[in-house]
Amino acid sequence: MDRPDIQLRNATYREFVALGRAPTAEEVATIVGTDPGEVRAGWRRLHEAHALVLDDAGEIRMVNPFSAVPTSHRVVAAGKGWYANCGWDAFGVGSVLHVDSVIETECPDCHEPIRLVVRDGRPDDASLVFHVLVPAVTWWQDIGFT
Amino acid sequence: MLLFRSEDHVDRWLAGRTPGATVPISKLAELADAWWGDRLDPAWEPHTREQNQQILDDLGLTGPFWRLG
Repeated sequence: MDRPDIQLRNATYREFVALGRAPTAEEVATIVGTDPGEVRAGWRRLHEAHALVLDDAGEIRMVNPFSAVPTSHRVVAAGKGWYANCGWDAFGVGSVLHVDSVIETECPDCHEPIRLVVRDGRPDDASLVFHVLVPAVTWWQDIGFT
Repeated sequence: MLLFRSEDHVDRWLAGRTPGATVPISKLAELADAWWGDRLDPAWEPHTREQNQQILDDLGLTGPFWRLG
């Protein structure tokens, strides 16, 4: 990952957080002073490097831990509502923003709602557990499933 | 990568499938801070695999299941 791609990645992250949604290639192009085609080409390289995730149309799908599309992991942090890609990423939203957060999801077994307040990095319900189904070496083989 | 009410709920949800790894929620919070905390840092650099492996190791997430490559 070369310096221009790191700068593109950083601008994309900053804009995602500022907007509370995935930025378009046109929006990021304006910020970094290039054209949308160059942004899309850079996003593709970042996707290949696992620095973000694009959908089949080449639009932003994940700026990890944030999800650009609704998921079952909702987070309120820094005065905004976010979607996270998984349980790990749900905690990651507060970690990225360095703020307290509220996580809402449901137990995949009983489908009862789970609501967690994370304050100073500590969840208010220590009885819950986190399960990772697939081994680490396979996480990026199908990141949507992981 | 999902949150469950307890290990019993994980076992029921697996329904006989091979389990992965179950981690206390407090450890997940520590993991998230270590893994994601620098993502908006203006001086952010990509984590190497070794750096990420060290994060897992430091939290006791060791063994073949947690090997990144």
